Amino acid sequence: MLKKKVTMLGAFAVGKTSLVQQFVHSIFSERYQTTIGVRIDQKNLHIKDTDITLMLWDLYGQDDFMKVKASYLLGSSAYILVVDGTRHDTIATAHDLHQLAIDTLGKLPFVMLINKADLEESWEISSNDIQQLRDKGYKIFITSAKEGTNVEAAFYWLTEQMIAQ
Amino acid sequence: MTTKDQSGIDLMESGKLHALRQLILGLDQQDQDRLHLLLRDPHAFADEISELLPYAVRRLVEKGEITVDSLMPIIEDSMHKSVQKNPGKLVDILFPVMGPAIRKAVSEDIKRLIASINTSIETGLSFKSLKWRIQALLSKRSYTEILLANTYLYHVSHVFLIHRQSGILLHQEAANDSQQLESNMISAMITAIRDFVSDSFHNREDTSLDTIQVGLMNIFIEQGPHAIIAAIVEGNPPADFRLTMTEAIEAIHFNMAPEIEKFDGDTAIFIHSSKFLRTCLIRERKQRKARPPLAFIGLLILLFILISWVGYGYITNRRQIRALQEQVNNTPGYHLSSVKKKAGKYWFIGLQDPDATPFNEIVASSTIDSNKVKGEFEAYLSLEPEILVRKALNRLQPPPTVFLKTQGTVLEVTGAANQDWVEKLWANIFKITGISELDDSKLRVNHTEEPDLDWIIPEIEQKSFEFDINITEIDSLQFNAFQDLVQAALLLEQYNRTHHTLLRIIVYSYTSHDGNVEANLRVALRRAEHFATLLYQAGLKEELLEAHVKFVEEGQSPSLIRSVQFKVIDKNKE
Ligand SMILES: Nc1nc2c(ncn2[C@@H]2O[C@H](COP(=O)(O)OP(=O)(O)OP(=O)(O)O)[C@@H](O)[C@H]2O)c(=O)[nH]1
Ligand SMILES: [Mg+2]
Repeated sequence: MLKKKVTMLGAFAVGKTSLVQQFVHSIFSERYQTTIGVRIDQKNLHIKDTDITLMLWDLYGQDDFMKVKASYLLGSSAYILVVDGTRHDTIATAHDLHQLAIDTLGKLPFVMLINKADLEESWEISSNDIQQLRDKGYKIFITSAKEGTNVEAAFYWLTEQMIAQ
Repeated sequence: MTTKDQSGIDLMESGKLHALRQLILGLDQQDQDRLHLLLRDPHAFADEISELLPYAVRRLVEKGEITVDSLMPIIEDSMHKSVQKNPGKLVDILFPVMGPAIRKAVSEDIKRLIASINTSIETGLSFKSLKWRIQALLSKRSYTEILLANTYLYHVSHVFLIHRQSGILLHQEAANDSQQLESNMISAMITAIRDFVSDSFHNREDTSLDTIQVGLMNIFIEQGPHAIIAAIVEGNPPADFRLTMTEAIEAIHFNMAPEIEKFDGDTAIFIHSSKFLRTCLIRERKQRKARPPLAFIGLLILLFILISWVGYGYITNRRQIRALQEQVNNTPGYHLSSVKKKAGKYWFIGLQDPDATPFNEIVASSTIDSNKVKGEFEAYLSLEPEILVRKALNRLQPPPTVFLKTQGTVLEVTGAANQDWVEKLWANIFKITGISELDDSKLRVNHTEEPDLDWIIPEIEQKSFEFDINITEIDSLQFNAFQDLVQAALLLEQYNRTHHTLLRIIVYSYTSHDGNVEANLRVALRRAEHFATLLYQAGLKEELLEAHVKFVEEGQSPSLIRSVQFKVIDKNKE
């Protein structure tokens, strides 16, 4: 039996909790209830002949006053960087957290989710921005926790990376 | 007097003057005083303006003379400067507002975290209380009584070994009567709470968390450098329980430190921590009341009489009958329709294939007194594979080198036989009811009566069985190849008999020096023994079998690793 810790990272209110809830329980809520500390969820998957249990650590979002503490990242096998497609500055936060993860954990599989794809009218991230991220070698999924778009695909992709490691 | 008059006039005059001023300016005395103050006292003036300014600004914004956007940088900038100059100031200002909110939110969140542990534990434990309720119902004792009887002074129900960094559950042990918990979640939450607490208290080591209270239970936590032990405890364990936990976590580190340090998600190896964790599963039953109440004793005696009268024999009988019923149902060639009790005997009624194991043999192999059961079966034709094969065996009497198997109504015949038998096979096959087709494509026909060593030995020595890591038994895919092996081996034995030779089969199980050599050896040996046992079970004489483990040396093909191969050796020529 394989068990892996996966950490959700990103600025506040980008949808980390919503993505986990969508993936694990297939539910979504419009209500914003900020995460303090960490929420934990568990998901069992069967991928490529492997039974794997993901322990999902959904951390509080980083803002200028609350930096994410490295101690929460320890022991992760992979991490997910979440960006809010309607807030351009959340990319910078994701970069900071990516750096923090590399400093704390070394190079690990990760994926970047650009979330809230359903809110096209207030979208702030251009395809050019996304191309730049892809050029850096990031694996990017455009997701919507609300509609469930690409959520499973992203988690499965990351899990496959972990198994391949 | 004069003075008085004077002032009287004055007063009168100033009264007139006021009236006059009011007429001209439209201001009363109060208004004038206020103006006066504003002119002389800048503070007062500032106060006055500050009340007007927001209103004025709002008006300006409304009229479109200035925009919020144009104001924002100024405000942000000044806030920024203020924070840079003295961050304390802003914190002081914000704290009374934010502090309580943050504290409340934080404690709420810890509460929520603990509450979720609580529910994870309680839903697991509720089954036990249900069991007690049923017990109470059956034994006519009150629920509370049962509960008390079942209550311990203290009771460690679960012990978790948790990877310190990731919070992943490496292994758990539970007391026998404990229920399944959401252990993975609980482990991660314990770790998160620990992180959170040490985080909130500025990472001071001495504040590290060693107990978490969850409802009526406590979670005891003992930290090691790479892993922690958490024990779920009801009641108050003795003082040296901490020491027990410390010793357990030390022993685990002593024995498994490299595995824990290298841990990357595969928890299988941590089964070896089991014996250390089990030392923590302690409990002590509460002393029963010295003298149970008389009424209770009376009830017990009554109950006892009742039970011994109808109960005991009945219950054991029922259990045996039910076991037999299951056994018959599982025996090929039977179809049980009912079991009836008639004149002190149990009648098993149903259908039976003539080729099925006789009913009295099944009864004899059970624990039940054979005088108490009778069978009443009507004949029917079973199409179960076991029965079909048995019918075929009875009718065809194949030599030991032939194997029969059914695939639906097709009979597959494999192995080797002489021409005579093959003819008999074709003559009789379709007399067997239930078989509609014969597949003998894998049957080898020996034209000479002699088993042929030129064929047998390569057949044995060219076989190779490859295994995955830690697998020691052949799977269904390897089974066909194994049957070929058995058939060749049996022919070898036949050859030995006719030629008075001592040709032996050596089983070689290959492994390597990589990794844990001791474990490699163990697994390889198990594979070798597995084959020796299978061949023995297939009818090979023990003295013709030998099992060895071989290390794959440099220069040899690495594909040999984890394979099992065979060699035929002439004992007389050794
Ligand atoms: N329309 C839309 N709203 C979303 C989506 N994902 C999240 N939201 C909303 O965004 C808000 C914040 O979502 P959360 O999931 O709580 O965000 P978070 O990243 O966990 O926030 P913190 O825990 O405070 O860091 C909530 O009101 C969600 O309903 C999405 O894909 N589409
Ligand atoms: Mg959240």
